Amino acid sequence: MATKTSKQNTVKASQIFGDYLIMLIAPCIVSVMYYGSRAAAVIAVSVLSAVFCDFAASFLLKKRFLLRDTSNIFIGTAIAVMMPAGVPLYVPAIASAAGVLTAKIPFGSSLRAPFVPAAAGFAIASVCFKEQVFDYSLNTEDKLFGAKSLASLLSEGGAIHINIANVFDIVSGNIAGPMGTGCGMLMAVCCCYLFIRRRSALLATAGFVAACVIYAVLFPRVNSSALTSIVLELSAGSLLFGAVFLVTDHSTLPKGGITKVIYGAVCGIICMAMRTVGTYEETVCFAVLMANGFSPVLEAALNALPSFGKTKNKGAAEK
Amino acid sequence: MSNNISFKDVFIKGAVIYNPVLIQLVGLCPVVAASTTLARAAMLSAVLCIELIVTCVISSAFLKKIPRWVRVPLYIIIGAAIICPLLWYVETQTLLNLSLGMKIFVPLIAVNSMTAVHCEQFSVKNSVKLSLYDAAAAGIGASFIFIIVGAVRELLGYSTVGGIAVNLPITFKGMALPFGCLILLGFLAAGLKAFVARVYPEDSENGEPEIKPVTQASEDYSQEATEVELFDEFWTESVEEEKPDIPVPEAPSAEKDEPKFSTAEEIDELLKSLGIDIDIKGDKQ
Repeated sequence: MATKTSKQNTVKASQIFGDYLIMLIAPCIVSVMYYGSRAAAVIAVSVLSAVFCDFAASFLLKKRFLLRDTSNIFIGTAIAVMMPAGVPLYVPAIASAAGVLTAKIPFGSSLRAPFVPAAAGFAIASVCFKEQVFDYSLNTEDKLFGAKSLASLLSEGGAIHINIANVFDIVSGNIAGPMGTGCGMLMAVCCCYLFIRRRSALLATAGFVAACVIYAVLFPRVNSSALTSIVLELSAGSLLFGAVFLVTDHSTLPKGGITKVIYGAVCGIICMAMRTVGTYEETVCFAVLMANGFSPVLEAALNALPSFGKTKNKGAAEK
Repeated sequence: MSNNISFKDVFIKGAVIYNPVLIQLVGLCPVVAASTTLARAAMLSAVLCIELIVTCVISSAFLKKIPRWVRVPLYIIIGAAIICPLLWYVETQTLLNLSLGMKIFVPLIAVNSMTAVHCEQFSVKNSVKLSLYDAAAAGIGASFIFIIVGAVRELLGYSTVGGIAVNLPITFKGMALPFGCLILLGFLAAGLKAFVARVYPEDSENGEPEIKPVTQASEDYSQEATEVELFDEFWTESVEEEKPDIPVPEAPSAEKDEPKFSTAEEIDELLKSLGIDIDIKGDKQ
C-alpha cells in the first residue's frame, strides 16, 4: 500500500507550476477586465523580467536554461497580479528580478528554495518602492471606496458598513487594491481546483484562512459585526491569494497533514498580527517569508511530539 | 607554527580564503547595522582595524598563560579600553564629525566576535609577529568588505557615493535596511567562494562542503519527479500507521568470511562441532 501511495504522489516538477499557472489565468483575466491593457502590460513586463533574469543568470553560471521550468512565469505573474495597475513598469520588473535572483537562482531551482520567490520579490518591492506599490489610484472612479484600498480602510479603523451590493463588489475584487488578487470568489475556485488535484497543500490554506478568521473575530479592526470583520479582512489585499498561491509552495511546506495545518495557521497569525501592528497594509508576503524561516523549526518541534512520530522519520528522510 | 610564514601567506588565508565577514561570518552586526554609507563604513573599518590589531598583539604577548575562562572577558575589556579613548578623541579632539551618529554601533566593535575568535584561535597560540600579521589580514579583509558594502548600499539606497550625488534613476530604499545588506553579503560570499574555489582549489576543499555543480543540478531538475503529497496519503493514514516508516534497526550483519547457515541442520552440526548440545529443531523432546 505504501509503495502504491508513493507512486501516486510522484509528480513531475513542471506539473506543480503548471497547476499554479492554470489557476493564475483567472486572476490575469480579472486584472485585464478591471484595468484594461495597463494590467496586461504589468503582467507582461513582470513575466519577461523573471524569464530574462533566469536566462541571464543561467548563462552567467553556465547552467542550462530550461524552457520547461515554468516557475519563472509563475513568479512573474504572481508578483504582477499583486501589484496595483498603475504601478510604474520598472517596479514589477525589479520585483520579479529580485524574486528570481535572490530566492531562486542561489538555491538551484524553485523546488529547492527555502523561501517563496514570489513572496520575496514582492516583499523587496514593498520595502524599496512603498509609495508606488501601494498607490491604487488608477481607474478607481467607479470603485466602491474610491482610491482607498480595503486594507488601508481597515488600518484606519472606524466603522465600515456593508450591504449585499457592497459585499458582491468586495468579494469580486471590484475595489481599489491589487489588480488581480482581490477576487475572493476566484480564490475559492482555485481552492476547488487544488482539491480536485488532490493536493494536500490545501491543508495549509485551510489552516491559514481559519487562523485569519479567528483573529478577525477576536481582534476586529472595524466597529462592525464579527461577520463584517471576517469578510473585510479576508477580502483585503492579497490575503486569499497568498493563502492559495504562496502558503502552498511545495518547497517550503512542511510534511505531514497536521503540520501543514499548523504551519498555515502560524502564517495566518503572523499575517494578521502584522496587519494590526505593522506599517504595511500588504503583509501576506512578509508573513509567508517569516513562516518559511520557521517551517523547519516548526516541523522539527512537532515531530518531537510522540503523536507526530509518523511524520518524523519521513520528514527527516526527505531533508 | 613556524615563524618563517610570510605576511602574504597569512594575508591570503586571513583576508581572502577565511574572510572574517563573508566566510567565518563574524562581525556581522556592525556591518549590517552601521555600514549604510561609505563614510560610516570607512570609519567602522578604521576603528575595527585598530582595535583588532592592538587586542591581538596584547593577547599574544601577555595572555598566553592565563586560563581561557579569564582570557575571553579580557579580550572585551582590552577592546573597550581601546575603543573608548579612540571614540573620545575622535569626537572631542578632531574638528571632523566622524562619529556620524554611530555612538551605539562603534562600541559594538569592542565586543564583537571577530576579536574574540582571532585572539582565542590564533593570537594566544602564536608569536606576536604572526598574531600581528593575522590581525592585520583579518582587519583588512573585513574592512574591504565593509567599504564595498557601504559604497553599494549608499549608491543603491541613497544615489550617492561618499556624499556625492550620482542621480541614479531608481533608488532602492531597502538597501539601507539590514535585509538589503544581508542579501548583498550573501552575493558577496557566493562570489568570494567561487573565487577561492577557482584560484585556491586546495583550500576551498578543506573543511568546506562539496558544492554540487550547477550544471549537474540543472540536469537533475530536468528529470526530476518531485514527490507531492496528495490527499490519498491522509486517507490511508491509518494503514500507514500499521506499517510505520520508522527504519527497523538492522541485525548485525555477518562478516563476509563468516559461515552462513541456511538450515537448522547446518547450525546443529556447527554447534555439535563446538561441543554445544542444543536442540535446535526440537527432535529430542
